[in-house]
Amino acid sequence: MKKTILSLALLFMGVVAMSQNATIPSGISLKTLDGRTVESSVIQNDGKPIIISFWATWCKPCNKELNAIKEVYDEWRDETGVKLVAVSIDDARSAAKVKPHVDGNGWEYEVYLDQNQDFKRAMNVVNVPHTFLVNGKGEIVWQHTSYVDGSEEELLELVRKVSKGEEVEQ
Amino acid sequence: MKKHILLLLALCVAVSTAMGQGIMGGHVTGNFQIDAQTSREDSVIGSKSLPEIMHLNARGDILYTNGNFSAGLRYEAYLNPMEGFRPEYEGQGIANYFASYKTKDFAITAGHFYEQFGNGLTLRAYEDRYLGIDNAIRGFNVMYRPFRGITLKGLIGQQRYFWDQRGLVRGIDGEVSVNELLASLAEAKTRLTLGASFVSKYEATSGINVDSYLDGFKLNLPANVGAAAVRMDLSHGGFGLQAEYARKGDDPCDLNNYIYHKGEAIWVSASYSQKGLSANLQAKRIENMCFRSVRSEKYPEAMYINYIPAITKQHTYAFLSMYPYQTQTDGEMGLQADVIYKIKKETLLGGKYGTDLHLNASVITGLDMQPVALSGLDTAMTGAPGSSGYSSDFFKAGDLYYADASLEVARKLSSKVKLAATYGYVVYNPVVEGHTGDIHHNHVVVADLTWKLNRKNVLRFEGEWMGSDSKYDGEDKRSGDWIMGLVEYNFTSKWFFCVSDQYAYNDGVGNYYNLSVGYTTGATRIQFGYGKQREGIICIGGVCRTVPASNGFTFSLTTSF
Repeated sequence: MKKTILSLALLFMGVVAMSQNATIPSGISLKTLDGRTVESSVIQNDGKPIIISFWATWCKPCNKELNAIKEVYDEWRDETGVKLVAVSIDDARSAAKVKPHVDGNGWEYEVYLDQNQDFKRAMNVVNVPHTFLVNGKGEIVWQHTSYVDGSEEELLELVRKVSKGEEVEQ
Repeated sequence: MKKHILLLLALCVAVSTAMGQGIMGGHVTGNFQIDAQTSREDSVIGSKSLPEIMHLNARGDILYTNGNFSAGLRYEAYLNPMEGFRPEYEGQGIANYFASYKTKDFAITAGHFYEQFGNGLTLRAYEDRYLGIDNAIRGFNVMYRPFRGITLKGLIGQQRYFWDQRGLVRGIDGEVSVNELLASLAEAKTRLTLGASFVSKYEATSGINVDSYLDGFKLNLPANVGAAAVRMDLSHGGFGLQAEYARKGDDPCDLNNYIYHKGEAIWVSASYSQKGLSANLQAKRIENMCFRSVRSEKYPEAMYINYIPAITKQHTYAFLSMYPYQTQTDGEMGLQADVIYKIKKETLLGGKYGTDLHLNASVITGLDMQPVALSGLDTAMTGAPGSSGYSSDFFKAGDLYYADASLEVARKLSSKVKLAATYGYVVYNPVVEGHTGDIHHNHVVVADLTWKLNRKNVLRFEGEWMGSDSKYDGEDKRSGDWIMGLVEYNFTSKWFFCVSDQYAYNDGVGNYYNLSVGYTTGATRIQFGYGKQREGIICIGGVCRTVPASNGFTFSLTTSF
């Protein structure tokens, strides 16, 4: 029995081993800050790069990252056309604080609530912050967990490359 | 065995779907996590030496996605379970597997799933891997959107109990987005979403014998118990109002001492926000809302169908989160307020770069539970099994459980130096952990300074002080006055080194020194540590995670692909 499971699992892996870069999972429900339910394929940016950042109101490094990018976001957008999508994993304890938190901090990102953490699971996020870079074709080309002051500059280098259609190394 | 057959089925479906679509592609993604610790005896912090020397929790999630189809499985191993995890976890195996098909308007999942209705007052199946909570439901979960703006959900299944499945849960949920449903309101500034849910559990009553307060009588327990809730989410520009109200039928269980008493929960959140200023006020009242698949369950985290959030702020500084508040599902009421204000840059108070203020305050109390007259007896008391337990005035507060107030001021001092200073006051009643004793009053001061030496080298210093009126009496090792220092060095986003020490200098015991080194590349992170650590949320090396108590070496690896 165990052997059968193992061999099937191997077959399963084999079938998909040839896969390309993963794309943003579709069909996953997210909430907007005004209470609407939307589906994850709304995360788009007309062929330009997207940064998806998983965060929570209580996570200090996440807040540092989003505050640091805020200072330079307009410049990044002008230069590369990038859009930052901030996905909050706050649960019922703090989900109602997300909109006040976003506005109070003056963030102009596209923000979604992932209260049931379906999107977090589908994207294999373990800890926050966890940041993904998505290219113009919707493929996830780079990801990183953790934020340290100044890492946003490393991220900008990558966004520049992606916006020019260049390959980036993980 | 049944488990394995289901798994095989899921895999077959996965493989055949991949082939059936003529696409050998699809994507495999996943994540692995290994946490290990050794432990030495230390009577001061209360750790024991382990006969097996090492404790290890590990898991791997593999997810296969192909268009609208996805399937996944999770292998878990607890060899042996880490500190803070129940011994029932010991062992290894496939703990979670599912197959699902999802489109914009329809989704179905067979196998394990997580789900939440509204804010979770009636149902929330969720997982917190660091706290050893996993009440995933195994069964079927369906979502359908018949029209734009209407979402319907239905589910049935059993809940995970360590390596077993127990209980039976059935639920439906509906949500209407008024602005999407009515085309004339599509662009309205006022947005309204309404929702309702109903959840029912079934537990066979044969074999459960509970004595009534009346001598010689056994309780006639309800096999089916239902809970229903209605909710709304209203916003108008910067104003927002969210509320949920739930009721639950008589549900005698171990936690409420087998009383026949309706459950009731109300939660309201009001907020106002504009750029640079926001305020949020939340209120809740919970009465007898423990809703579990197995009524006799004694573990406080297991078999919960619903979720009653603590509305208090989730603090992450060590001393502010030393006494975290835990929801009392049998009854509590509370208020929480949060204000965020940004003082503009280039002003007298704001300085060159601006200043952030974050204010929070909360107070949580018990209910005012009054004794009830017992039928058949010439007496009145609270909580007698088989009675209605107690009566309580809706607006009357009982004992103080918890209160806190904190102010954080964060400011960039120069282009390289950032300082966040926090003062917090925490009042804590040990009764929420089931202990007796006096209420503690703690003052906490935190200074958190980040110094970016240059683009690649970043230093962080954290100093904390806690002054408490609690004294160590041989029980609670958090008592007394504490001081803490932490230095963290980050070399790019890849390496970090961190040294910290928490020391009880007055009326307490303990010296928690800790050294950790971490390496992060992409979504892979490896961390070694040595020292003594309390359980709680720790944010070092640029990530936040909950850690178990430990004394000795720790190792942690997480990776996503």
